[in-house]
Order: sequence, then structure tokens, then C-alpha cells
Amino acid sequence: MQHARHHIFGIRHHGPGSARSLRLALEALQPDAILIEGPPDAEAVLPLVAHATMQPPVALLVYAADRPRDAVFYPFATFSPEWQAISYGLEQGLPVRFCDLPQWHQLAEVPDEAAEEAAAPLESEALTPYTVDPLAWLAEAAGFSDGERWWEQMVEQRRERGDLFAAILEAMTAIRAEAPPPPPREACREAWMRQSIRAALAEGYQRVAVVCGAWHGPALVDLKDKKGDTALLKGLPKIKTQATWAPWTYSRLAYASGYGAGIESPGWYEHLWQHHEHVASRWMARVGRLLRAQDLDGSSAHAIEAVRLAESLAALRGRPLPGLPEMNEACRAVFCFGSDIPMQLIHTELIVGERMGAVPDEAPSVPLQQDLQREQRRLRMKVSADFQDLELDLRKENDLERSHLLRRLSLLGIGWGELRSSGGTGTFRETWGLQWRPELHVALIEAAIWGNTLRDAAGNRALDTALHAPELPDLVAVLNQVLLADLPEAVPALMDLLQERSARTADVAQLMDALVREDRITRTSLVSSMRYGGVRQTDSAALAHVVDGIVTRICIGLAAVCSSMNDDAAEAMFGRIIAVAAALRLLQNAEHLAAWYQALRRVADMGGVHGLVGGRCCRLLLDAGEIDASEAARRVGHALSQAAEPPQAAAWVEGLLRESSALLLHDDLLWGILDTWVAELPADTFQPILPLIRRTFATFTPAERRQLGERARRSPTQVRLATPSLGDAEFVTERADLVLPLLDRLLGLYE
Amino acid sequence: MSNRLREHAEHQYAEELRALAAHDTRLRPPGWNLSPWAVATYLLGGELPDGTRIEPKYIGSRRVIEIAIATLATDRALLLIGLPGTAKSWVSEHLTAAISGDSTLLIQGTAGTSEEAIRYGWNYARLLADGPSAAALVPSPLMRAMQEGKIARVEELTRIPADVQDTLITILSEKTLPIPELNSEVQAIKGFSVIATANDRDRGVNDLSSALKRRFNTVVLPLPDTLDEEADIVQRRVASMGAALELPAEAPALAEIRRIVTVFRELRSGQTADGKTKIKSPSGTLSTAEAISVVNSGLSLAAHFGDGVMRAGDVASGLVGAVIKDPVQDRLVWQEYLETVVKEREGWKDLYRACREQS
Repeated sequence: MQHARHHIFGIRHHGPGSARSLRLALEALQPDAILIEGPPDAEAVLPLVAHATMQPPVALLVYAADRPRDAVFYPFATFSPEWQAISYGLEQGLPVRFCDLPQWHQLAEVPDEAAEEAAAPLESEALTPYTVDPLAWLAEAAGFSDGERWWEQMVEQRRERGDLFAAILEAMTAIRAEAPPPPPREACREAWMRQSIRAALAEGYQRVAVVCGAWHGPALVDLKDKKGDTALLKGLPKIKTQATWAPWTYSRLAYASGYGAGIESPGWYEHLWQHHEHVASRWMARVGRLLRAQDLDGSSAHAIEAVRLAESLAALRGRPLPGLPEMNEACRAVFCFGSDIPMQLIHTELIVGERMGAVPDEAPSVPLQQDLQREQRRLRMKVSADFQDLELDLRKENDLERSHLLRRLSLLGIGWGELRSSGGTGTFRETWGLQWRPELHVALIEAAIWGNTLRDAAGNRALDTALHAPELPDLVAVLNQVLLADLPEAVPALMDLLQERSARTADVAQLMDALVREDRITRTSLVSSMRYGGVRQTDSAALAHVVDGIVTRICIGLAAVCSSMNDDAAEAMFGRIIAVAAALRLLQNAEHLAAWYQALRRVADMGGVHGLVGGRCCRLLLDAGEIDASEAARRVGHALSQAAEPPQAAAWVEGLLRESSALLLHDDLLWGILDTWVAELPADTFQPILPLIRRTFATFTPAERRQLGERARRSPTQVRLATPSLGDAEFVTERADLVLPLLDRLLGLYE
Repeated sequence: MSNRLREHAEHQYAEELRALAAHDTRLRPPGWNLSPWAVATYLLGGELPDGTRIEPKYIGSRRVIEIAIATLATDRALLLIGLPGTAKSWVSEHLTAAISGDSTLLIQGTAGTSEEAIRYGWNYARLLADGPSAAALVPSPLMRAMQEGKIARVEELTRIPADVQDTLITILSEKTLPIPELNSEVQAIKGFSVIATANDRDRGVNDLSSALKRRFNTVVLPLPDTLDEEADIVQRRVASMGAALELPAEAPALAEIRRIVTVFRELRSGQTADGKTKIKSPSGTLSTAEAISVVNSGLSLAAHFGDGVMRAGDVASGLVGAVIKDPVQDRLVWQEYLETVVKEREGWKDLYRACREQS
């Protein structure tokens, strides 16, 4: 190769072909030191690569010690040339070093504001290649549509090795002669690499192997300009960084971080790495097995034809061997009958492939991990890969904090515990199913970008989710979670957001949903958090303000939104009105209720309102004593009068009575109104109206209908039209107290 | 110029095929007139070293055509699937013209297609006179294709009853057609293959048995990706058909074609081109082929009853007819589209007025 004492191996990150060639070339060269493009920050943890329990895919994680959000991941798979170089070096007992510009300089350059603007800091710009892809020029010259494919064919698919790396270096030199000069950061990186090589040579190593992205190769040949490099690297800002290993997955290899571009098809690359020969037949055989396992057609005959098609496609396109595009097209045409759905399966299972790496326990941990471990110890929670149930009694301090911890984790997308319905209606009991899965480890490290402690991280993440919540109810769902996870710091910001969003929302239906949206399992909503803040000790003052605003807006807009609805919309609104009515009754705020009943009255009086909604409004007003029995009777008659369209009238009755057979049976008032009205109908009107009423009654169960019938027979029309409702004035406390001791015994409260 | 309404592909483009063959130095699979590369060039267009321009026959994904050709090169049968009007038959005709030089070995699949139409029939006079003999046999296009080593086409495969479809299984896997009556068989000559087309929109079609499916490589022909691509297809086809029909009208302006294609694409995808407004889709497929016929009829209206320039009024009737397939539902959809989209759009007033007059 070169006459110099250092030998440059230009590779493509994550390329199995270059990994294989590199391994062979290293064995041929027998270097006495290896320098690899990578962060020197991580040199301390490099020896862990040889550890018995280290299993790629793994990622090197380098982060600023005081700002773990600024982190860079360098993922490695078995087929990464860098990984092969490291393992080779460690096996041979050679010094292995990273020679890229250290992250202690690179991360120091990230200004603080920029960190915020990078919404996904994973995509750190630290190492992206130039904005122009120089390989694309070579590829274009060779008639290829993109650089990656070209590299794959020219380098990765080559069967005869030859002096591959010298040729790559030569080609790269030719392109770099034409390319614009590197931007300052790239120049610094290459200067640092040269300095590292100089240092290694100065230590007396005779055959130094330098493994770097092919693009950097030409810049590392000539080491003469030492002075210039020193000047370039002078005065770089510096911070303290830390490095560790994290288990990685193939699907995450696709993320672009650390080594520039991620890779789309790690499963395919691994296949290429494992099998030198019969790549296509083995691949198609795997596709066949996969499809058969899913009960889809995938016989050996399919595999044979698919291989033939892939090979003739490759020939048609002038390639020596079929690549992934040919494989996919052949699979689609032969296995999938042109359909995309099995292709998706093939994509996730084979092309990406779900493989999870493992790191030794000795690997240092990130602050968030440390915080979690601390909390787990403090709250005496065992981490186990087995599934276990955890019963929490939220009245106990320790259990409450455990619940907070689990909820914070799930806010961060770390599903260690899954909350399950505890069966009872009590609000102080929670049942969690706990299971620690290895991928949670990765999730935890990823979550490290949100903060150093669980508390901070969960709060930040929740705010971020809330900012991106598409609809108001989603925002409320986040708020509920935050309240339950006891993150009071995040609440004011969320409240502001909620206030602002609800002010901007013109959609009353959404406001109604927001008000009553319940957590699926704990059944907490804005309203219940406010009413029963108790067990969870959440602050309800701020909530009250928001709820006030929402209720006011609902009451103002209700009438408008209820006009001209079709059946589906009316059905949805029916449910909403009931839910809001229940919520407001729960809150017992006189102002709210007054405004609400006024709004309901407006809706009930409105001409064009859908019967279902109109009927229910009338019913709610009646239940609340806002209209008296005679008024209600008048409304029933009005709605069912002959001029009304039959479907409209039927809907009205349904709105009035749906799911209230029991009430009808036991509530004299409602019964009386209906009974009187029916009794007073003239005979010839009764007949046309009968089907309308029957439509509603048909929804009751036969038993209910029988009881209603019996009641009708028992009590002929002697009805008290006076309102027998239980006003507070009539409530006799002494009588009620008499029941309490018995109740205590029934409930087992006192022995 | 011949007075036939429509020429076969191999005649219409005989010049191009000759030029391609003359320059084709690559390996030709046995029985093929051209090498796979030349076939691809014939379909996708290009320029030969001597400057002969090859007109693109299929505008769209190169990938699709490559898979189709590679399939035929591996002696597998090819099944082209797609919505109506995605150029399935068009591609199959041109593939056979380029590969075998003969696009006429065609079986039209219908619900009434019988086994005889696929295998062979008998000349009954002969049969009664002499008994079964090779002379009394009436070969089907498929059988002739096997004997001559050419490619046979089966149109609308899924319309053929399922039990008749399965006749193809032996032919496709063993490449032989047994004739038990004569105690003999026809063995296919190299170069034989089958291109079948099927559409996946119509209901009530006979799905292929999995045994038959396995013998086909399936290629799905997509709808055109972009407005530009689709407008280009319409313009090219209209130009070539206009020449054949000898219409005295001027070639339509691209702007007018783009407008029609936009209407089709928007109604098909259920949203306006800018993605801002949702609209309802009518029941018809609104394929590119229908857009072509709308432009064609507009052109002929303009030529014979107008001033020779295609204007909004000339396309309106064709457009309304293409969109409204169901007189009740589609009319509502169309009217909604007219009032909410066409009316508001800058520079579309003439089209709006013309369409209003129609409906």
C-alpha cells in the first residue's frame, strides 16, 4: 500500500462488505497499532468490546457530563468495519485508539440555544458528512442513481479482493481534488486524526492501521503540515464528557447519529455478513420460512422462482449479483402476488430484523439510569424480567411514591409497569403488572435526553408531548397523567397551554370531551381530579381556573353546536351532554350549574334541534327541578304533536327515556307525566303515535317492559303532579343518621 | 397509410423495432427477437446510437417494466394487475410485439371463455368424417404460441371461470399441452410464455387458485405518480391517436390537458391537489385511459363542431360523462366538486360555466 508507516483503510460505516475486506486486510498487514475514526472520549470503555457478555448491536454513547441531553450515539453491529477492527485489535492485544475529534471539543461547540431548537437531539449534527454527497458524483459518473447503491456494487459485492483499499483511496483522492474544501469542523476533525497518527508514529509503532470513513482517507495520507494542524486545533472550547455502552436494536440503527447516516436494512446486512455464498437462495429460503410461519404461501418452489427472477433482474440491470432492491422486487412479484402487506412483514422481520444487543454490567450508566436505580432501591422495588403483580395502596406514603415512579416512567415511554384495572371502584388502590424487558434499557438511555432525574425528564417529556398534542382532549390526557405522576413543576405550564388551547378551540364538542375525558383505567378526569384531589394530594386551585373557562365556553357555545345535526352527530352529542351534566353535578358549583341549565334550556327551546338531544335536555332540566312537571308534560306533548315529523318525534322520546326504564319505574314524576300524556291523547292520535313510543320502549329488556306494564295496570291515572323531589329543606338529618350504624356494620367499617 | 382503425403494435412501430434489432448486440434469450435491454428501451423510450428516437410506450416506473421483462426472460408467466386503465393490455401488447414480434396470439377472457378457447377445438366436419386427427384439430392462440415459441396473451384472466383458468396450470409448469384424443402432446418451443392481465377493481371476478397464482410472477401497474407524468401520458396518447383518426383539430394545449387530469386526480384521490380540501370520490375508476378518451372526444367535438381548438365547452360533456357513472350518487359528488372546487379556482371559470350547462 503506502510507503509510509501508516496504512489507511477507507471504509463505509456499517458496510458488511468493507468489514469483511477490512478484516482480511488487517490480517494480511499485521499492524502493531490500530486507529479508528471514533470519539477518544470513549477509549476508557473500549476494552469492554472483548467482554464475554458484550453483544452487538450496541452503541457508544458520549454525552456532556453536565448536560446529558447533548449526547451522541455511535451504533455498531457485528458487520460494522469499526467493530471488526476493534475486536481484531483487542484479540491481538494491540493498542486500539479512537482518533476522531473528541466530543469534549465537538459537544462544547453546541451553543445552548441550539440544543433546544434541535427537537430530536439524537440527530446530532456532530458528524454528518458534507452537505453535498461526494460519493454521488462517482456513482453518477458510473450511471447509478445514488451513491449507496454504487458503493454496494463496487465495493461490498466484490468477490475478488485485490488491493481494494488502495483503489478506494485513489478514487477518493480524485473526487476530493474536485470537491469544495471541507467546512471548518470537518477540517478540524481531519487535523485531529492526523495529529493522532503523528502521535502513534512518534511512539514508535511501525505499522499503524487507520480505519476511517473512505471520504477522510486522502486527507490522512500526508502528515507534513504539523504546524498548520496544531494552529487549527488551538483554542477549541472544551467540556467534560462521559462515555458508556448502551444496548441497541437493529431498528434503531436506522437513526442517523454518530457515524453520519444510519442504515435502512441491518437485517439484510447481517445476512450478507454471515453468508458469503448463495446469498440470494438463503435469503429467499428465509423469506419462505417467514411467510409459512404466518400461514402465507411460501413454498420452496416460490423461493426458487424468486431467486431466478432476482438474478435475471440483476443481469438486466448489469449487476454482478442481485442486491436488496432486486430481492424485494422478486419477493413482491413471486411471493406476495404484487401485494404490499406481506412485504411489510418481510421488511420488519427480515430486512430490518429485530435484534437486541447486550452490554456487560460493568459499563458505566447514564445519570437517568442512576437516578432510577436510586429510586428503585429507595422504594424497595425489585427489577425482574419475570412478570409480577404489584398492589399499591395509595394511602401509604411508600406506595404512593411507587405509583408516581411508575407513572413517570410511562410518561417517558418506558413501560416497566402496566396499570391494570383493579376491579373495584375505590380510588386508593392500584394494580400494576411489572416486567423489566431489555429494550427498556435502550428506552431509558434515549429518555436521558429529557433530563437527569426521572422527575425532570418526565416533566420535560410531558410538556413536549403536550405541545405536540393534536387535539384538546389529548392535551387533557397528558395533564391527567402529569397530575397522577405528581409533577407539580410541569402543571403551571400545562395549565397555560390548556388555557390557551381551549381559548382558541372553537369546537365545543372538543371542549366537552376535554372536560370529561377520563383516564382509561384510573377513571380520573379534570373534574374528578378537582373534586377528589384528596388521595393523590394534587393542587386543585389551578385546575379550577381552567375548568371555569372550559365550562363557560361550553355553556355559551352549546346551543350553536346543537343546531342542525345528523343522527351520528346527535348520538355523539347525546353522550357528551350526559357526561358533562354528570361532571357538573359532581362539581356542585352553583355558577356552573346555573349557566349549564340555562344553556340546556336554550337547546330544548330551539326549533331545529335533533330530537335525541332536545329530549335529553328536557329530561336533564326535569331531573334538576329546573322545569316542573306540568312544563315537562307540555314539552312532551309539544314534541310529539301531530305536526312533528315522526322520526324527529321518535328521536325525542328516545332522548327523553333512553336507558332509564328503571327510573321510569320508580320515579313517580316521570311516570306521571308520560302516563297523563298518554291517557289524555285522543283515540285517533294515539294510533299514529304508538309506533314512535314503541321504538323507545323496544330498547328496554322484556323484564323491564313487563314491570312497566304491571305498574301501568296497578296505578291508574291517579298521579301527583306535584314535584316530590328531595329538596335540602325536606332532608331530615335525624332520620338519616339512624341508618348509619347499620351501614357501618354492612360495610365492615367497625367491628 | 393503411385504412385500419388501429394498427398492431408491431406494425405501428415496425421501424423502431427494426432499428433496435439492428443495434442490439446483447445476448438474446432463445426465441426472442430482441435482448431484454432492447425490449426495455422499446417500452421506456430512448435514443439509439444512430440517432433513431424510440418513443416511450410506457411512462412510469422503470422498475415495473424491468421486473416484467426479467420475468419473461426466466420463462415464467407474467401477470399484470392494476386498476382499469393503468395500461395493462397496452404493456402486454408492446411486450409481445417487442419480444415475439407478434401481439396477435390473444385470448380474450370472459365469463363464457371455454376450455377449447384455451387449449384447442375441433373442426367438427373433419372430426365426423375422419375421426380425431391432427388435421381436424383447431389450435387455440395459446397452442400456436407454444408451437411457434412466442408469447401468448390472456386478457382479463380473472373473468374466466375458475375451472377453465386451471387449464393453464399444466401448460405453465410443464410447458406441454396434452392432446389425449390423439395420444400426443404439444411441447412448447423456447421463447414461449404467457402474459395475463387482470384488474383488481371489479367485483364478482374469479380469484385465481393458489396453484395457478404460484405459476405467475405478479406485477402491479400503479396509477401515475404525479400530475406531470399523467398529463404527459394523456398528451402523448392523444397525439398518436389523433394522428390515426386524422382529426383536423390542433393538438390540444398542455394547459387544457393538465386541467382535465387535475380533475381526474382530485376526484380519484378524494382531495384537492394542494391537499387542503377533502372531496368525495365518485364510483367510477377515473383512470388515465378515461382521461385520454375525454380529451379525444373533446378534440373531435372541436374539430367537427367548433373552431378546431379544444376549449372548455368541448371537454365538458366528456368530463361529465366520465365522472358520473351512477346517476344519483355521482351527480351529487360532481356537483359538490363543481361548486366547491372548480368555481373557486383561479382561471377555471370557463370550465365551471361549461360544466354547469351540461348538468
